[in-house]
Amino acid sequence: MTFLFWLMLAGYAFGAVAALLAPGNRAVRRGTATGAVVGATASIALALGVFATDATFAFDAPALLSVADGVAFRLDALGAFFLGLVGLVAAPCAIYGAGYSATYEGRYSLRFLGAALNLFLLTMSLVPCAGNVLTFLLMWEGMSLTSYFLVMTERDEPDTVNAGGWYLAMTHAGVALVLAAFLLLAAGADTTSFVHLRAAAIRLSPTMHSVVFVLALLGFGSKAGLMPLHVWLPRAHPAAPSHVSALMSGVMIKLGVYGVLRVGLDLLGGGPAWWGALLIVLGALSAVLGVLYALMENDLKRLLAYSSVENVGLIFVGVGAGSLFLSLGAVPAAGVALSAGLYHALNHAAFKGLLFLGAGSVLHATGTRDMNLLGGLIRRLPWTALFFLTASLAIAGLPPLNGFVSEWLLFQSLLPGIGSSAPFVAPLMTLAVGALALTGGLAAAGFVKAFGVTFLAIPRSPAAEHAHEASLSMRIAMGILAIACAGLGVAAVPILAALSAVLAVRTGLSAATAEIGGGVWLSTPERFAQMSPALIALGLGVVIAGVWLGVRVMAARRGVRIGETWGCGRVTQTPRMEYTATAFAEPLRRVFAELYRPTKDLSIDFHPESRYFVQSIEYRSEIVPWFERYLYAPLIARVQGWGLRTRALQSGSAHAYLTYLVIALLALLGMLLVQGA
Amino acid sequence: MRLFSKILQVGIATEPLAPGGDEVVRLLHEVDARARRLFGRALAIREVDAGSCNGCELEISGLTSPVYDSERFGIHFVASPRHADMLLVTGPVTRNMAVPLVKTYEATPDPKLVVAVGDCARTCGVFQGSYAVAGSVDQIIPVDVFVDGCPPEPADILRGILGAIGRR
Ligand code: SF4
Repeated sequence: MTFLFWLMLAGYAFGAVAALLAPGNRAVRRGTATGAVVGATASIALALGVFATDATFAFDAPALLSVADGVAFRLDALGAFFLGLVGLVAAPCAIYGAGYSATYEGRYSLRFLGAALNLFLLTMSLVPCAGNVLTFLLMWEGMSLTSYFLVMTERDEPDTVNAGGWYLAMTHAGVALVLAAFLLLAAGADTTSFVHLRAAAIRLSPTMHSVVFVLALLGFGSKAGLMPLHVWLPRAHPAAPSHVSALMSGVMIKLGVYGVLRVGLDLLGGGPAWWGALLIVLGALSAVLGVLYALMENDLKRLLAYSSVENVGLIFVGVGAGSLFLSLGAVPAAGVALSAGLYHALNHAAFKGLLFLGAGSVLHATGTRDMNLLGGLIRRLPWTALFFLTASLAIAGLPPLNGFVSEWLLFQSLLPGIGSSAPFVAPLMTLAVGALALTGGLAAAGFVKAFGVTFLAIPRSPAAEHAHEASLSMRIAMGILAIACAGLGVAAVPILAALSAVLAVRTGLSAATAEIGGGVWLSTPERFAQMSPALIALGLGVVIAGVWLGVRVMAARRGVRIGETWGCGRVTQTPRMEYTATAFAEPLRRVFAELYRPTKDLSIDFHPESRYFVQSIEYRSEIVPWFERYLYAPLIARVQGWGLRTRALQSGSAHAYLTYLVIALLALLGMLLVQGA
Repeated sequence: MRLFSKILQVGIATEPLAPGGDEVVRLLHEVDARARRLFGRALAIREVDAGSCNGCELEISGLTSPVYDSERFGIHFVASPRHADMLLVTGPVTRNMAVPLVKTYEATPDPKLVVAVGDCARTCGVFQGSYAVAGSVDQIIPVDVFVDGCPPEPADILRGILGAIGRR
């Protein structure tokens, strides 16, 4: 396993160096991808190795940065799960990037992009491997910074700099909170290694536990995109190159989940029931609001970014239900809920990665992300359309794809909670189930919109008219992820059974979770519910094949008449007659008008002679961005106010600065004196 | 509450069936029986207004009123020719509606029936020779049965429908 570990490092390092040194653009793109693919494959192998041998992989370099306990890596099953998840998406994204980044040739530096991508993947892979606080924070920060530079790739685009600013601010606020959480934890520990933190956590008071947990939740939540800390996602994800968006949205935000699990469940060893309740509430809020905002988006990648907020919400509902059940002592139920959350994390990585890659192909082919300018792409990009459809079906939770399995499991893990006798649990679970059901339905509507408006009907602009299919490397990358979506769905039973090892952080959880899978059936504790993804897939396959055959036989007997698509008998059909993305969402905009508070702006230009002849119509509708307007705008104004006030200190006079130095020195000496006495 | 007071104020608004109503009921039952035998389900009709004065439409919508209530007897008006067994075409075919009528006809799955309702549909009626008229319905698409009258009564329309199903 040490070999695999080094191979992973070497792969990514090679990718970074090759990107910097290779001659010519083509070589740079190839080198970047090769290194990243080697690194990603090695990381998957390493993760599988940890699963297979049930052993923890450890590697220490205490001499490196010894002031803060050195660099240490410790990969247990929980970390390995997230490492594997990184690798699973990283490999296709790297392959995709080889083709996709060709658009940047001559405009932006490919070398910089390639090196940053490999360093991003490297640090991101090492986050779940970290064995002490220093290593964790180093890698976390490395991941944040490299991804910031990746977001800034298209820096000439108008919104990119703004997006990068939001991302940087949110992620660093998060790091500050995480750092505070770790410092509080480490106060009583011998060293900052996770082993010692775990031991020290037992000695901390319950209040301290809760303070650490809330700090960590806020810190990691800002990375995960939990509402109301999600504001950077819909800005940064569209701005980044598409394979980077896929990585950020598919993988990086999951490391926020990893952080919460690592600190809350592992280091702190779980907590009171309200932790779980808090997670469920925040998760359900993110899920419902995320999908509601996704529905209103006409920018394909922003829609996907909001949908990531929704899915992170679902994951947190699972994690929250797990920790709630744990605190109530219902270990088997907790196991199901946690595996549902984790499995959804894995599945979301697969289908959201694929969706972003698909959106990237669309952007690559047409140069726009505005769905109202797209349409008709299914004929021009048939492969991309097929892959995008697969991922849309998966994210909408349709069998036999993977989204269905994890959402089913999530529902089944919450339903028993409705019968719980503990106070507040039953209503909470009922509300959570309701929120989940609402989310599922709206998500399906959202992806009908995303797929339908983008790929069906006739093109709405010349750019969409002349679109071309993605290059081979891009198609291969999308194909891998599409197969992963189907595989994770059909073969869910053995995979879930294997995942039970991940939950070894708490005694009894693993054993309880291993019960989920048996033969072809997935079953929740006490056979509360049973489902077989493989049999459903088989049944669907038989039905589809039967219908197909039946149609063929009938067609052979009766003959086939091929007609035009029915368009209400119109003489000509133009794109202007099509349903737009805005129009598709209009019914929901009305239903949820309380939330959106849409403002409509309709200006019509009539012909000077007669009002029956309209020259132009301009329609604009905006929804109230609640979080930005009422949470962040005052906050930003406040911070800027402080900034302006502190500027008075910066007088520009050297005398004043010397005075500050003396005052600081005296204050320090004073502190020493007080402590000495 | 307002609903109840309205019910009290207005009282019973339904009328007894006009004389000759038994005939209509008999026709309806016959259509029902034939359609059931032919399709094993209700007859699906798509109405196409190819340029009528809407007098015919009034009578056709009369078919679905509480008096005739044709839906009950398996005469079902559908929203797309894709779902239809029969087209009910009214009026002279105007220039603007000629292509849509042909497209509608083509979009209707085979086997299909066409019933042309009203005098206009057969002869263009008072609109004959107008610059805006392309011709009678049978000049544009094949017609199975004509229903005469300006406008024809619902009972006549029912007879036309019956005649068309009877041809098969
Ligand atoms: S037949 Fe009579 S009622 Fe029917 S469309 Fe012609 S003019 Fe109007």
